[in-house]
Amino acid sequence: MAAGSFLMHAKPGRFSSTMLSWILFATGIGLYFYTAQARHHENPDDRVTPTLAQMVKGITEAAVKPAEDDEPLADNAPLTQRLLASMLWKDTKATARRFVYSLALLVPAVLLGLHMGLFPYAGAFFLRFVLFFDKIVALSLLPILFIAFGIDELSKIMLIVIGVAPTIILDTFNLSRGVPGEQLVKAFTLGARDFDVAYRVVMKQILPRVLNSLRLNLKAVMLFLFAGEMIASTEGLAYRISLLRRHMAMDVIIPYVLWVALLLFVVDLSMRLLNRKLHPWFHEA
Amino acid sequence: MRIPPHDPQVRMRNNESQSAALPLTSTTWTTMLRTTLIAFLLASAAYAETPSFTVGWSIYAGWTPYHYLMKSGILRKWADKYQVAIKVKRFDYAPSLDAFVAKNIDACTMTNMEALDMPAASGVPTTAIIIGDYSNGNDALLVRNGVQFKDLAGKKVLLVQKTVSEYLFDRAMTINGLRDQIKRVRLINTSDADIASAYISDTSVTGTVTWKPMVSQIGKQKGVVNLFNSSQIPGEILDLTVVRTDVLARPEGQRFAKALTGAWYEMMAQMSGPNADKVLTAIAEGSSDTLASYKEQLSTTKMFYTAQSAAQFGASPELQQKMALVRQFCYEHGLLGANTKSVDDVAIQYPDGKVQGKPDKVRLRFTVEYMQAAAQGKL
Repeated sequence: MAAGSFLMHAKPGRFSSTMLSWILFATGIGLYFYTAQARHHENPDDRVTPTLAQMVKGITEAAVKPAEDDEPLADNAPLTQRLLASMLWKDTKATARRFVYSLALLVPAVLLGLHMGLFPYAGAFFLRFVLFFDKIVALSLLPILFIAFGIDELSKIMLIVIGVAPTIILDTFNLSRGVPGEQLVKAFTLGARDFDVAYRVVMKQILPRVLNSLRLNLKAVMLFLFAGEMIASTEGLAYRISLLRRHMAMDVIIPYVLWVALLLFVVDLSMRLLNRKLHPWFHEA
Repeated sequence: MRIPPHDPQVRMRNNESQSAALPLTSTTWTTMLRTTLIAFLLASAAYAETPSFTVGWSIYAGWTPYHYLMKSGILRKWADKYQVAIKVKRFDYAPSLDAFVAKNIDACTMTNMEALDMPAASGVPTTAIIIGDYSNGNDALLVRNGVQFKDLAGKKVLLVQKTVSEYLFDRAMTINGLRDQIKRVRLINTSDADIASAYISDTSVTGTVTWKPMVSQIGKQKGVVNLFNSSQIPGEILDLTVVRTDVLARPEGQRFAKALTGAWYEMMAQMSGPNADKVLTAIAEGSSDTLASYKEQLSTTKMFYTAQSAAQFGASPELQQKMALVRQFCYEHGLLGANTKSVDDVAIQYPDGKVQGKPDKVRLRFTVEYMQAAAQGKL
């Protein structure tokens, strides 16, 4: 094969590109299990690198057994009841609730950014402050957050909102400023009012990009959520991970981390699909 | 430290800089490669002569002396005597445990509970060589609004779960006859870095279990009362220096343990001797603390200043009784691992040869060998 075929003009076939995309996964998994096996050979009680069987057992127990502080179930409870009362489901529910609330609270951030971009007085009023606020590392202000929002759910959600909202606001602001002025003038001459222009001309156009920007910020949302749950909580995926870490129960932690990754991937995918459904005309990333 | 001129590493460096100045022909490459290789071999030979060990410590009244041990040169003196090199490294507590379990460090400071549920339960056989102190009020349950034990059910309590804090809480409720109420208290897992500010700023939280210096900070708040503390369960929360058992199996590992113990008790003598204030100030600096604050912490820490007293405690049946409580707690809370089907699967061996648990599953050992040698002046 000529060296040139690996350069920019290369056209990998369907088969080879599928194979190539899985190589790193296979290597990673292979290396892990090789290490795990070697470590278990040396120390059968090793907890740092659990074997596949241990992880399967760990996650199955997490998925069908209640957390240790909860009431144990009757032995004959049906599977659905078991799943719903399980530690994994309880944690997922708690984390998902916080996640959804914070995403909902990011909607006003989008609207604020839009208004800042279009209405000069709103821009003058908010822009400098948001720019400044964007640079504040919210995590280091936790004690103040505790005073303002207590240590319950609200402080965790606010940590996310404070951490992510400025980015969303500024992004929406930039996007709405990017809409060509001619369009606005045209809309006005066709008899649109200010809010028609804002919501039906500008908003409509930038929405797919705003959704994309939300999508890219999912990771930041999750990071803040995890940070919040590790600080003070009684349930949640990150709470469980930080608790299990105390006795190195990696056999549950690793499946938990993969579960979180899967959930995030699903949310990301559904937002992408939603975006495509809502805006079939939009072709970008 | 001055590097002697015959140090192979210095030679290597000189050679490298010389060849770097020349155009890199293939001969220079070969020469360089060869010198590097020789230097490397020499260096590893020198390395083999003085085996090197690392001790990890984290900030706590009973462990901060390690900072002084290193800075004052006491440790170096003892290491030279036993022909070992000892490095001392500060960690945060949890990472120090991780490093010890991963076998990145050879010795580490930890409590008796963590020694059992982290390294020992993870199949890293561990030996406690120094019993430094026990918490004698350092850990405490604090409450506000005049709440009593019987009122705690349904109330919120902040603590770092699955640590000695939860153990203290468990014991406090048991001693007060409220064991059946433990599950009804709403324990909120809170990281130790934020626990003081979280408790102080959110007055809807009734209680907290934590340790010093957070206890002192929270205790200053109006209306906060110290409801229970570790002086009511003396000797149950021990602060140890542990070494991996496989390190002790090697002769140089034993020399390391001897050097460490010797240095430790020389320092203990200084801490309680006539010049104590000067030494304590230097130790306090190790955790960016002041002399007054450090002394306040020491007042609730029962230090074993003499090797004699530590060895005595280590050999006493009392230790075995206390450990029985601790291991039961660890087992009930799943800290010994989900696959541990019986509390006896992680066994503990004591200096008198007695074993708690299955004799073939000894994972944690207490030895007074080194402390006794120190007491008898044999180190």
